[in-house]
Amino acid sequence: MNFATSLMLIGAELGLCLVALVLLLLSAWLPRAAARVLTIAAASALAGASIYTLALLLNGTAGPDANAFGALLRLDAFSAVAKLLIYLSTFACLVVTPSFFERRGQYRGEYPVLLLFNAVGMSLLVSATDLMTLYIGLELSSLSSYILASFARSDMRSAEAGLKYFILGGLASGILLYGMSLVYGFAGSTNFDAIRTALAGELGTGALFGIVLVFAGLAFKISAVPFHMWTPDVYDGAPTPVTTFFAGAPKIAAVAILTRLSFSAFGEQFAAWQQIVAFVALASIVVGALGAIGQENLKRVLAYSSINNVGFLLIGLATGTAAGVSAMLIYLAIYAVMTLGSFVALLMLHDADGVPMETFGSIAGLAQRKPALAWALLVLMFSLAGIPPLFGFYAKLVVFQAAVDAGLIALATVGIAASVIGAFYYIKFVKVMFFDARPSSDARAEVARNPAGHWSVLAASTVLLSPLGFLLTPAMERWAAAAASALFLTA
Amino acid sequence: MVDLSQYLPILIFLVIALGLSTLFVFLPMATARLTGVYNPTAEKLSEYECGFPAFEDARSQFDVKFYLVAISFIIFDLEAAFLFPWAVSLGVTGWVGWTGMMIFLGILAIGLAYEWKIGALDWD
Repeated sequence: MNFATSLMLIGAELGLCLVALVLLLLSAWLPRAAARVLTIAAASALAGASIYTLALLLNGTAGPDANAFGALLRLDAFSAVAKLLIYLSTFACLVVTPSFFERRGQYRGEYPVLLLFNAVGMSLLVSATDLMTLYIGLELSSLSSYILASFARSDMRSAEAGLKYFILGGLASGILLYGMSLVYGFAGSTNFDAIRTALAGELGTGALFGIVLVFAGLAFKISAVPFHMWTPDVYDGAPTPVTTFFAGAPKIAAVAILTRLSFSAFGEQFAAWQQIVAFVALASIVVGALGAIGQENLKRVLAYSSINNVGFLLIGLATGTAAGVSAMLIYLAIYAVMTLGSFVALLMLHDADGVPMETFGSIAGLAQRKPALAWALLVLMFSLAGIPPLFGFYAKLVVFQAAVDAGLIALATVGIAASVIGAFYYIKFVKVMFFDARPSSDARAEVARNPAGHWSVLAASTVLLSPLGFLLTPAMERWAAAAASALFLTA
Repeated sequence: MVDLSQYLPILIFLVIALGLSTLFVFLPMATARLTGVYNPTAEKLSEYECGFPAFEDARSQFDVKFYLVAISFIIFDLEAAFLFPWAVSLGVTGWVGWTGMMIFLGILAIGLAYEWKIGALDWD
């Protein structure tokens, strides 16, 4: 085994890990005021890791046979693209975090450290080609997520969110492990390619149980219906910067590994898992669209919106074609930008005392008070709803196109119908901001000023989602197609 | 492909164990109800504490420090559990095994240093 090659392939993870360990020690020894410096160091480490991954992708090192450590990890185009998405969205989350916690005097150097460990776990997860590395990556990312959810530990709701996430996440890990042990028992190996060979042909009941349980465990991690119950509570209870993170990078990682697992390990059993994925996709779309209608809290609305979006992502997976996976990756990238932008906009809605404005009532008449913020939210919401001139439309278009090409016309029809229902609450945002009267009582606080970091992330995501985003489509299509075809080379 | 049929006895054993334990729980309950001795009173239902009336509710709060010590214990206990097989097989794994374990111990040492510095090991 060539260690130098293996270490070179996981260079980004190694670098992040080393930086995280050093920052952990620094966070204990330096005064708490240094937390901001540690955040900058962590953000630069993430930027460095993205550049390193991009370089490996561009110089052709990242390929189908770039196996590290005896086929425990693989750096192909698929994992490289997923890693880039993960690093960039984690980077954006680091930029918008400090001022939120500093306003409450809760910011500590441990926050960037946890986020870095989370990023390491997620990038191991997306490049895993073995059930063992899959599980280790998943747990490294989940365990730091549990702590992040309860980061505002003096806040009752944050602590509750962390505990809830921990207990339900532990249950999901248990289900996943049980499924993995069944798969291992029937396939005789934990390696994805070996599992694929062993499970070819007629599928026994035991192995089918294993596959179903593995899908159930991962469906929990991507918060797909019927394993979505925790999502609104955790998203609502966790501090808003943490929710911004949860809705982005961990979801990208879990969807990516679900895709890799489906096509490489269970690739021969497409008929068995297609029904599961199609059902989960349909249920997520419908529940996500209907569940948000009665909600008054904006974070809960966006939590249901993310459940709804996971459904659209899974349509791409359910097609079982390279075109479907490539459509899914395009949707994933655009979804990451949309969710990041909308949560950052939510983060910016607070008064001078830092009290967040989290209900529809509190953003009434926002267009007169903060026109820039209101217009950015308008672009984000119309984009999430998939209204044509905006980039969110393109994401939905490619996914439905792939579904129709693969003959899943019923799934596409229900998806389109549900996205019309879902448009209700996206448009409600716009209606409340632009057409509802500003509350008459002047006691209601003004929206406070926000740091430049927030504005730049919001502006960047708004510009990406505006019709200007369509300039990126040729590049995105090329990358997504390259990444998707990496999964199908083993077929 | 692993031959699972050789594990059939274990499956039967599990089913029997489950059946027996269910029986042990529910048989006395059923017997008591059917023979008419089921007659709960406040005295019978209260918890037994050496013959005294109960002093306090059993569900009291623990100091969080106990959990901290327990978590630290688990980590270092597991470390010891990893060290034994590593030490025994060091002749086979050689320098690669040695380096791997040193990296693992290094990460744990950093964790311990952090824990020490922020005062998680102080009792007061």
